[in-house]
Amino acid sequence: MTLAYVLRRLGAIVVVLAIVTVAVFGITVVLPGNAAMMILGENATPESLAAMERQLGLDRPILTQYLDWVTGVLHGDFGMSLRLSLPVSQVVGDAFRNSLSLAVLALVTVTAVAIPLGVIAALRRGTIWDLMIGLFSYVGTAMPEFVTATLLLIIFASPEWPVLPAGGFVPPSEDFAGYLRHAILPAATLGLILMAHISRQVRSEMSEVLSSDFVRAARLKGIRERRVIWRHALPNSLAPAVAVISLDIGYLLGGIIVVEEIFAWPGLGRLLIYALQNRDLPVIQAVTLLLAVVYALSNLVADLVIAWLDPRVQHA
Amino acid sequence: MTEFMLKRRHVLMGMTATTLGGLALPGGLRAQDATPKRGGTLRISHTTRIATLNVLNLSGPAEYPVADMLYSGLTRIGLDSKAHPDLAERWEASADAKEFTYFLREGLTFHDGSPCTAEDVVATFEAILNPDVPAAARSVLNMIDRIEAVDPLTVRFHLSMPFADLPFSTAHANARILSRAALAAPLTELDTKANGTGPFKLETYDSARILRLVRNDNYYQPDKPHLDAVEMLLFPDLAAESANFLSGATDVMLTVQQAEYARIEAAAGIEAQRVASGRYVCVVMRQDQKPWDDVRVRKALALATDRELLVQVILEGLGRPAYDSLVAPELEFATEKPVIPYDPEAAKKLLAEAGYPDGLKVELVASDRPAIRVQTAIALQQTAAAGGFDINIVTMPHDTYLAEVWMKGAFYIGYWGTQPTIDATYKLLLTSDGSYQDTEWKNTEFDKLIIEGSATTDPAKRAEIYARVQEMELADTPYVVPFFEDVLTANSDKTFGWTVAPISRYYYIEDVWLDRG
Amino acid sequence: MREILRNPAGLVGSFLLVIVLSAAVLGPFVAPYDPQQFHAASRLQGPSAAFWLGTDQYGRDLLSRLLNGAPATVLFGLGATALGVGAGSIIGVIAGVAGGRVDSIIMRVLDGLLAMPELLFTLLIVTFLGGGTSQAMLAVAVTFTPGMARISRSAVLSVRTRDYVQAAIARGESRSWIVGREVLPNALGPIIVEATIRVSFAIMIGATLGFLGLGAQPPSTEWGLMVAEARQFMFRNPWCVAVPGVAIAITAMGFNLFGDALRDAFDPRRRRI
Repeated sequence: MTLAYVLRRLGAIVVVLAIVTVAVFGITVVLPGNAAMMILGENATPESLAAMERQLGLDRPILTQYLDWVTGVLHGDFGMSLRLSLPVSQVVGDAFRNSLSLAVLALVTVTAVAIPLGVIAALRRGTIWDLMIGLFSYVGTAMPEFVTATLLLIIFASPEWPVLPAGGFVPPSEDFAGYLRHAILPAATLGLILMAHISRQVRSEMSEVLSSDFVRAARLKGIRERRVIWRHALPNSLAPAVAVISLDIGYLLGGIIVVEEIFAWPGLGRLLIYALQNRDLPVIQAVTLLLAVVYALSNLVADLVIAWLDPRVQHA
Repeated sequence: MTEFMLKRRHVLMGMTATTLGGLALPGGLRAQDATPKRGGTLRISHTTRIATLNVLNLSGPAEYPVADMLYSGLTRIGLDSKAHPDLAERWEASADAKEFTYFLREGLTFHDGSPCTAEDVVATFEAILNPDVPAAARSVLNMIDRIEAVDPLTVRFHLSMPFADLPFSTAHANARILSRAALAAPLTELDTKANGTGPFKLETYDSARILRLVRNDNYYQPDKPHLDAVEMLLFPDLAAESANFLSGATDVMLTVQQAEYARIEAAAGIEAQRVASGRYVCVVMRQDQKPWDDVRVRKALALATDRELLVQVILEGLGRPAYDSLVAPELEFATEKPVIPYDPEAAKKLLAEAGYPDGLKVELVASDRPAIRVQTAIALQQTAAAGGFDINIVTMPHDTYLAEVWMKGAFYIGYWGTQPTIDATYKLLLTSDGSYQDTEWKNTEFDKLIIEGSATTDPAKRAEIYARVQEMELADTPYVVPFFEDVLTANSDKTFGWTVAPISRYYYIEDVWLDRG
Repeated sequence: MREILRNPAGLVGSFLLVIVLSAAVLGPFVAPYDPQQFHAASRLQGPSAAFWLGTDQYGRDLLSRLLNGAPATVLFGLGATALGVGAGSIIGVIAGVAGGRVDSIIMRVLDGLLAMPELLFTLLIVTFLGGGTSQAMLAVAVTFTPGMARISRSAVLSVRTRDYVQAAIARGESRSWIVGREVLPNALGPIIVEATIRVSFAIMIGATLGFLGLGAQPPSTEWGLMVAEARQFMFRNPWCVAVPGVAIAITAMGFNLFGDALRDAFDPRRRRI
C-alpha cells in the first residue's frame, strides 16, 4: 500500500470519468428526441422546434457541443440546465446536499446497527437471536425499496392516520424538526435493506472465520475467547464487510433514486430521473459524473480500509 | 359600424362595468356576498415544476397561473369562455374582419415602473411572429400581416385574411405583452426574470421548490389584487401535496387528481371545484393508409368504445362522455352531438362489411405521460375487444413518442387542452393546414367552410356554417373522442374567489382574497 | 438435497420456491379470470369470494394478474442472473487465477464499469436500450457482470492466501491442480451465495425498473408495474399494492433462503460446526 498505488487508482478514476462522459453524451445523442422537443412538447411546430434548438445550442455539430461542454467543465462551468433555466452547478449542488444528508443518515444508522447484529448472530448461532436476526435480514434483503416504501407509507402515512409525512422536504435550515420528520421514512427505507444485507454478510464471514484454522489455532493456544473474537475473528471478518459496505454505497446511490422519487425528496436521484425524462443533457452529465466520483472514491477508501484491516490482501 | 361590432361593444361595455371578478363562479359566489379583505399570502400547491417563466413558450400546468399573475395580454378569456378586455379596454374590427384596432388603457406600467405603450405591444407581436423565436402563440396569430402603433395608446393589426376571432387569439396564454426592452435583451433572460403588467410581481424563483410573487401596487384594476403575496409551492408527490393541503399548510390545490377528488371533496373546511372543460383524449387514426382509410372501420371503433365505462374507470366519473367531436359543448356555436351507444355487435358487423370478418389486429401507441393516455389505451383495448378489435398496446417514453410517433404514427392516443373557439379547435388538428394535422383526413370543403366561418361576422350565418362543419366531422369520424375531462381544483373555505377557467390557463388571482378569521 | 431440507432456512426457502415456481409454471392456467378483464362494478375491492385477493383500479382480478405475472417475474430474475453471474464469474476467476498483468488489466476495466452505481448504470443502459422487459434483463445482466467478477476474484484471492493453498504450493503441486482442487471448490461458496442473492436482486431490480416505467410496460402483469400502476390508489385499496409487493418479497426471499442452505450444503467445513 503506497502513495503510488493511490495515485494510480486516482488516475484510473479520471480516465473512467472521461469515458463515462463520452458514453453519456453518446447515449443521449443517439436517442430519438431532444430537450427542445421536450420543452415544446405538443406545442412544437417544425419552425419553433428549429428556433428552440438554436436557442439551446442543439443545432451545433455534435463534436462541438461535446468539446464546448468539456471546455466549460474544465473551467469549472457546467453550463445551464436546458430545462430548468438555472445553472447546472446550482441545481446539482442543491440536490447533492439533500441526497448526501439522506445517505449519511441512512448509512451511519445502518453501520452502527448492522455490524453488531451480524456479530451477535454469528456468536449465537442457532439460538432464537440468530433466528430473529436472520429472519429480519432475509425479509429485509428481499424487499425492493419501492415495496418497503409503499408499505411504510400505507402504515405510517395513510390519510386516516398520518403519523409521518407521506413525502416532501423541508430545508433543515428552516425547520430542523420538520426536516427530520420528512427524512424518517426515506432513511428507514434505505436503511432496512442495507441493514439486512450488511448484518447477513458480517454473520456469514464471522462464522466462517470462527471456524477457520487460525482461530482454532488461537483457541488451542489457550487465548481467551473474548480476545479471540475481538482481536482475531472480528478484524478478519470485517474486511469483507467493508467490501460489502463499499458495494452497498453504490447500491445506496441507486436506492436513493427510487426512494427520492417515491418520497419526493429533492435530491440527485429525483433530479436525474427528471433530467432523463426531459433530455436535459448537462444535468444528466453532471449528476452521473458526481455519482460516479462519489462511488469511485468510496470504493478506493474501502480498498484502503480492507488492506489496513487484512494485510494479507495483495494489491496488484 | 357593423352589427358584429355593436354586439361586441355591448358585451365589452358590460364587462368593464362589472370587471372580471363579478364573473367568478363557484368559489366566487360567496365572495360576492362579503367585502373582500386586503392582505395575506395565498399558498398554492402544485406537483409539476415551474421550469421557466418565459411567457412566449411556457406550457407547464403550474406555469400558466404564474404567467397569468405576472403578465397581462391585450385580451383575456373569461370564465364564460369569451374574450374580454385586459390591457386593451376595447377594440374595433373592420367590416371585412381584416383590420383590428385595439385601444390600450391609459397609464399602464410594467413592474419596473416604465410605461407600457403601443410600442411594446408591437414589439411583442413581432417577436411572436418572428420564426427565429420559439413562440407557442404563433400558430394562432399567423394571419397577422402587419401590426402598427397608431399612437401610444392605439395598435392596429392588419390581417392577411379575414379573421373574426382575433380577440380570442390575442388572449392566447402565450401572447402576453412584454416590454420592448425585455425583447431586446437575450431572450433566455425571460426564463428567470419577468417584467410584466400583471397583478403580481416576481419576488423569488427557485424552480426546485418555491416561487413567490408580491402585489403589484400599480395594477390597472384599482384596489386589486386583494392579496399581498402568492406562493407557488412545488410538491413533487401527490400524497404529500394533498396531506399538506388537508392540514391547512396550503390554501389552494391547483390540480386535484381524479383518484383523490372524492376524498378531498368530503374533507371538512375544503371546497372542491369541478369545472366542465373541453380537455379531451383522442384516438388518432391515420387515414392515408389501411385500415383507417375506411370510414366503416373508424365507425366500428367508435361503436366499440364504451364511453360511459371510460368516464367511470379512468376519470372516476369526473368528466363527460364525448361523441367523436373535438368541439366542447361550452364553445360558441357548438351543436348538440348525438349519443354514440356502445354496440360491439354493430361494430363487428361494420368491420365485416369493411372486409374484416374475423376482426382487426392493430397496434395502439400510448406515450407514458400523462398516465391518462395509457389508461385510455388499456380501457379501449378491453371494450373494443368485444367489437372485433384485437389491440396490442405499445407504451413508450414521452421523448420517443414525440420524436417517432407523434404526427407520424398510424394509431395512437392524443391528448389536448380546451381551445377557445371552434375555429381554433379545428385549425389545431383537422383542417388540411392544421398546426398538428395528424390524421390526413383532409377535406377541402371542410377547409373552405372554416375559412368562411372565420371571415363571417354575422353570428347567425356563423352558427349555420359551424353547424355544417360539425356535421361533416361527425359524418366522417376523423377522430374517436371518448370523453371530455373535467378540470379539478380545490381551495380551503378561508380562500375566496379562487376559480379556474374551463380553458385552464386563466385564473384571475387578483380577485382572490383570504379571510383566515 | 437432503442436506438442504435438514436446514430450517433451507426448508422454508425450498417451500417458498416450490410455491413460486409452481405459480410460474401453472399460474396462467389456473387463474380464475382473464387478467385483463375489467369488472367495472367491483373496482378497488378487498378480498371476497369472487376475487380472492381483491381487484385493482380497473376492477381486474388481482389473483389472476398475480398468477399471470409470475412466469415473467421469475424468468426475468433467473435469466438476468444467469447471464450476469456467468460472465462475471468467468472474468473474475480468470483474473484471480492468472494474476499479474492480466489481472491488473481486467481489474482496471472492472473498476471502470464499477465506477457507476448499479441502479444508475442499469438506468442508463435501459434508457439507451429504450425500456421493455428484454432490454431491462440485458441491462441487469450487464450491470451484474463487473460486481460478480470482482467478488469471484476476491474469493479466489482470499482462498489463494489460505494456509491449505500455501501448503499445496509449498508441496509443489501443479497450478491447474491447485486451481481445480483447492481454489475453485473453496471459492465457489461466495460465488454461489452471491449468485442466489443476485437472483432475488435481479427480480427486485426488474420490478423496480417496472415500477419506474422503464421495464415491463402496461398492460403487462409484471409485479413491479402492478405496484406502480396501483400506487395512486394505495390508500383506497392497500391490497392492490400489497399483493404484488409481497409476492416480489416472497420470491426474492425464497431464492435467498434456498441459496443460503445450498451454500451450507456445499461447504463441508461449515457443516461440522
